[in-house]
Amino acid sequence: MEVIDKIVTWARVKSPWVLHFNTGACNACDIEIVAALTPLYDLERFGVLLKATPRHADILLCSGPVTRQVGDRLVRIYEQMAEPKFVVAVGTCATSGGVFKGCYNVKSGIDKVIPVSAYIPGCPASPKAIIDGVTKLLAKIEG
Amino acid sequence: MNNKQPDEFKIPIGPQHPALKEPASFSVALKGEKILGVEIRLGYNHRGIEKACEERTYIQDVYLVERICGICSHAHSTCFVQAVEEITGLDVPKRAKYIRTIIGELERVHSHYLWLGVAGHEIGFDTLLMYTWRDREVVMDLLASITGNRVNYGMNTIGGVRQDITRENVKEILGAIKTLEDRTQYYIEVATQEPTVINRLSGVGMISKEDSLKLGAVGPTARASGIEKDVRKDDPYAAYDEINFKVITDDHNDVFGRTVVRLKELLESYSIIKQALSALPDTPISVKAPRKIPAGEAISRYEAPRGEDIHYVKANGTDKPERVKVRAPTLANIQAVRKMLQDRYLADLPIVIAAIDPCFSCTDRLISINNLDKGEQKVMDWMTLRDYSIEWYKGKGVDFSVASKRLGRIS
Amino acid sequence: MRAEEDIKEKISARFPAIKGSIRIPRDRRIFLDVPILKFRELMEFSVKDLEFRNLNTITGLDEGENLSFIYHFSKDNGIMVNIKTSITKQDPVIKTITDIFPNAEIYERELVDLFGAKVEGLSPGNRYPLTDDWPKGEYPLRKDWKMKEGECQ
Repeated sequence: MEVIDKIVTWARVKSPWVLHFNTGACNACDIEIVAALTPLYDLERFGVLLKATPRHADILLCSGPVTRQVGDRLVRIYEQMAEPKFVVAVGTCATSGGVFKGCYNVKSGIDKVIPVSAYIPGCPASPKAIIDGVTKLLAKIEG
Repeated sequence: MNNKQPDEFKIPIGPQHPALKEPASFSVALKGEKILGVEIRLGYNHRGIEKACEERTYIQDVYLVERICGICSHAHSTCFVQAVEEITGLDVPKRAKYIRTIIGELERVHSHYLWLGVAGHEIGFDTLLMYTWRDREVVMDLLASITGNRVNYGMNTIGGVRQDITRENVKEILGAIKTLEDRTQYYIEVATQEPTVINRLSGVGMISKEDSLKLGAVGPTARASGIEKDVRKDDPYAAYDEINFKVITDDHNDVFGRTVVRLKELLESYSIIKQALSALPDTPISVKAPRKIPAGEAISRYEAPRGEDIHYVKANGTDKPERVKVRAPTLANIQAVRKMLQDRYLADLPIVIAAIDPCFSCTDRLISINNLDKGEQKVMDWMTLRDYSIEWYKGKGVDFSVASKRLGRIS
Repeated sequence: MRAEEDIKEKISARFPAIKGSIRIPRDRRIFLDVPILKFRELMEFSVKDLEFRNLNTITGLDEGENLSFIYHFSKDNGIMVNIKTSITKQDPVIKTITDIFPNAEIYERELVDLFGAKVEGLSPGNRYPLTDDWPKGEYPLRKDWKMKEGECQ
């Protein structure tokens, strides 16, 4: 199965510890992230773990267009992560603000606040797209 | 001025933890292990949608409001178009109303399954998460097949729906429902017969019928306190006035009751979908709507999976609304949470919040805890609080291994 | 629409001055306008005598010189009564209704943040939905408020 091959590649390249942060998203991408990481694909088998603290995370999976209230916390989380660290903007809102671009309380995208390593568009980004995107990122890191 | 504020709901929480540079979403005052009071700070997903609605056309707004919440997107989009259709005086074809109903109920099904998994996760019963989210994929695949997307279906337009349900879709839906019906019965059995589940959820997050009414709770949260409140019955919309179904209530007034209500509602949803499919009228799926909506106002209500969703729309004769006001159900229910947590243990906070099925991402919110006895202040993130809660209850003997094995017998 | 007409009769009998503003556009919907000084009395009548015991939400509106607030109430049978009252922008003071409806709190806070309403009797608490560092005097849902260039972008 194609997706499983990708996961195995992913696990071989790195056993990434992933931190998931919602910057004011509608929750659709967050649920797809969790669906990608937990029951259906059981990525924990391959060492991919959802971690609670920035200090332990290699990859920050961010959803949402960054509301005013969470902007500072997002920066702080990023600063607490140890190098090498990578940020993935999951979903169209995280990429560019999506339908919320131009709304008064959002910054319209993760890269307005912290550097982004990979963008996974979609409204929401599907679990397969998320796995695909993160795998591509890991492949790129590896060389 | 005379101010008879109910003091029981207002308790000094204490100052915010000095290390916290942004507002904690939950500020808790503890006396020993018991919660004296909770203050809730919302707004981190405030995006400025209502303002944006005034600056965009009605059609653009259909897609915008659909994304207020990624779990009940069809609820918001339907609620919105209903208000606009009413102002315009559009006669929405029956088939469109039936399709809206079917999609709406499929959304309720996916949402309740989602909730079951989240609730299981919050109490350390991860097997439940695995099984319910696996079952949920059946519904997600179905929705993707019918509408083209797993979430944000884009089914609505002003005047009807954009896509029809084909004969193939009908077969798919009926097949999926048959599978899900059996599984739901099994979940109901586990939830209502497994002592660990019953004990863990009973007596937690209690709120009386009276308080629930006073605080304006809606949806399964209200119905679990014996309140027979359901917009589909009280203020019918779409095809609900032509379909038979029960409003599910429960008298436990607690998280256990909220679980039972959602499970039994799944059965009602399957029944509603089957009835709607067999009675699907043979009419067009939409009527043409004008670009400029005549001056007027309307209030639309919808029973979203979480409860009553309200959209108020005011039109001014142009192609953009004068005002769009949205009151999502979580805003109604969050105000009851303070009461539910009073005199409970800190370990109950995750499941009590989860049990109102909040439409916000709780796993990223911070909790500020003030132990008034010890004069101690702490900041916790949600995952840490959840771990603490699961360990605390393990210490009281809560162990889901038997329940997990029992669940494993679902094929 | 007998129940709705019946409610209209009762309100008109008690508050003849506002009879002309009562509209019943469809089943289960009653709209009416009331001057601010009569609002409390009309609300209490609706709640206690007419049994509109549920507050659904409060909608703020910018209507030029005035700010208007529609209080949406409903009863068990699904009928909604939507009571609109207005105050000037110069002196946008309303009184809290949290003594009768504790759940009005969050809706009143929204009016404060987004429209600049002043709600007398509302006890201190977290604002909603804006941040603490939101510039004073900026009310996003007022019609003349536009996002500044570079602000929050």
